[in-house]
Amino acid sequence: MPTTASMQTDGHPRRKGRPRVSETAAPSLVDILNLVRTEQATTRQEIERQSELGRAVVADRLGMLGELGLVDESELGTAAGGRAPRLVRFSADRGRILVATLDQTALGVGVADLAGSLLMEHHEATELAQPVSALAERLVTLFRWILERQSNPQLYGISISVPGAVSDGGEALFQRATPGVLPGWESFPLVETLVAAFDAPVWLRSSVETMTMGELHAGAGRNQRTMLLVKVGKRIGAGLASDGMLFRGAQGTVGLIGSVPVTMGDRTGTLEAMAGSDHIAQDGRLAAENGASPVLAELVRRGGDITALEVAQAAQVGDAAAIEILSQSGRLIGQVVATLANMLNPALIVLSGSIAQTNDILLASAREAIYGACHPLVSRDLQIIRSQMGSSSGLVGAAIVATEGLFAAPMLRDWIMSGLPQAHPLFQQMKHEIAQRKAIKGDNVRPPDV
Amino acid sequence: MAITGLGPHGERASAPERVLLLPEDMERARASGFRVAIVLHTLESDWAKQQLSGIVGTLGNCGVAVIDVIDCGFSPEVQIEALERLILEAPDAIISLPVANSKVAAAHSRVSAAGIKLVLLDNVPTGLLPGKDYISLVSADNFGLGKIAAEGLSPHLREGAEVGVLGYDADFFATNEREIAFVKWMQVNRPDVSLHVQRFPALSGVATTTRALAEAHSQLAGLFVVWDTPAMTAAQALETMGRKISMATVDLGQEATISLAANEPLVAIAAQQPFRQGESAASITVTALLGRLAPAWVALPGLAVTARNVVECFQTVWRMPAPHEVLRKLSLVGLKRSDRHPPRGS
Repeated sequence: MPTTASMQTDGHPRRKGRPRVSETAAPSLVDILNLVRTEQATTRQEIERQSELGRAVVADRLGMLGELGLVDESELGTAAGGRAPRLVRFSADRGRILVATLDQTALGVGVADLAGSLLMEHHEATELAQPVSALAERLVTLFRWILERQSNPQLYGISISVPGAVSDGGEALFQRATPGVLPGWESFPLVETLVAAFDAPVWLRSSVETMTMGELHAGAGRNQRTMLLVKVGKRIGAGLASDGMLFRGAQGTVGLIGSVPVTMGDRTGTLEAMAGSDHIAQDGRLAAENGASPVLAELVRRGGDITALEVAQAAQVGDAAAIEILSQSGRLIGQVVATLANMLNPALIVLSGSIAQTNDILLASAREAIYGACHPLVSRDLQIIRSQMGSSSGLVGAAIVATEGLFAAPMLRDWIMSGLPQAHPLFQQMKHEIAQRKAIKGDNVRPPDV
Repeated sequence: MAITGLGPHGERASAPERVLLLPEDMERARASGFRVAIVLHTLESDWAKQQLSGIVGTLGNCGVAVIDVIDCGFSPEVQIEALERLILEAPDAIISLPVANSKVAAAHSRVSAAGIKLVLLDNVPTGLLPGKDYISLVSADNFGLGKIAAEGLSPHLREGAEVGVLGYDADFFATNEREIAFVKWMQVNRPDVSLHVQRFPALSGVATTTRALAEAHSQLAGLFVVWDTPAMTAAQALETMGRKISMATVDLGQEATISLAANEPLVAIAAQQPFRQGESAASITVTALLGRLAPAWVALPGLAVTARNVVECFQTVWRMPAPHEVLRKLSLVGLKRSDRHPPRGS
């Protein structure tokens, strides 16, 4: 059973008798704010109807939310006969969320408003293999740079997309410690460093999970409830949105399809090894060497290096060997994804990642394999498309992960009375623990200097 | 030179050769009778003129008619109005340099929604995505430009020097990248140097910002300014204060070239290649109009310019001889044969 913040942290049993005002106000504030934030209600009348709260209570709570800067009632709506109603809007500009994507070879940072809309972003090449401390230092430097460019720098949260599954039960309100996503992360307190440097709660999700959320909220999956995202690059992974929410599974490790064994001819291996970008590049180099691909052979003759992108480009200009390499990858990916589609019945499958995005041939052969192997009821209205968001889907998705975390009822009810998530008791407790550890171990969690 | 930066959405750069037009492409384009409009931030600067020249010439080679060229005068309102008007004209493609980010985003996304191919120069408005809202972005490798400027300024900085960074206080992809790259290079390669960043809100505020920066840091020994026009204003402001500071900037404008030839106050310039950038933008436009896949980001490498190579770089970038004053400062004209220096580099 999920544990909530209040259950864990109260410490003191509630006294009997008349409840405090804060106790009675918080649940209705949470309900009203989320009705307004998700635009289910845009006027006081709609809020009263949907929340089933009385006019005076709604007026009082909206007054409080207005004072906290979380809702705005300055705009007039369209009159339907009488006086034009005041519109109740969520003040997404009230705060900022710092977002980042850590990839094998690139680091992306951005800043979003409280609605999850990306306001600024910057990407630069980096090596994930470098020490986590150096990565953290760069992240902090770039976060500070982007935050100081904001007219309203009030920070509400930090959300990071990482290239590996973030294992947890899906119940944590936010990250309480640095998980061992990658080698070396256990020995460096990345999350704690960010908390100490920026005083805001941190969320971590795998890159396929953030890309899935990005596509669902701002990309091809808008207005969809059930969507499958397949990322094809060096690694192959899948993310699932079910009923409009990210499905994280029992351990938060959904979609590790890259390790599924597949067979092609007399070769057997994992999907990643048989269809990922390393394999595409390797087959491309082979085709250049044995003369099967004139385009790639010419590239080598001119001193060029062959990566999967060169193979994809060669296929795009009609090189037969490159087309076959990409088609084979597409077919293998399609076979595995078809099994998922038959199981999950998504409305939409989005192929994303560097290879899927640059090549129509891979998309076409994956489509063929998926449609061919799906039950007619599954494939009847199934759309299979390429992502249109590129690397931004990870940043946008990370922002959505944070907004959903911040405004989820179990989290929100413990900070809304103060107006800032930093007031959440679990976050306060985390900061206290970090300070204690720092006192014991020295400067291990000292924020890097800019 | 390799491209060191990533695109506005993390894209890897594609080289301009990726969109090279073959004779058969030009033939097909000629037969199609395409119409293209161009919307630039300004038509006043040499940089914009060179870029326009590259675009128009290449489109001309392909039989594409340029039906309008609009000077937005750096005004988002003018750009929005121009795009709205052009949508009604329904050209096959619009090549635009967005003058702002969030303000002009909706107008730019309406272009692609209207079925008009949109090719962007130098900047991407907030929230617009390649493939969905626009075909490609064509820009210099701005991250690389920032690095080049830092590398060029570094030899002129003594151990432990204080360096000012004059950034542009607007969310603009090109200037953001240059500032980040300059600071990163210094932090990695010259950790002894102290950096002081200040940003000017508009060109009219450059002198004030420069004076504030120089007054706050009396030991300032170097200054990086994110492009040449404000760099020259900053140089003037510092001169009136009696401060002698080595400077680096981006773009080989006329004034900056003269200053670089004299080796003061400018000691290094990272130059863009606007003519080639214009050619690439036109090639991408034709590629997209012919229904072929275009890369999301095409980047052109920058040139590292110092007093030693300023003449040849000027000729490469501007496709014209260097200003006479530059040639005179470098003793390339006005001397008798017997007085001439030995060839440079010897």
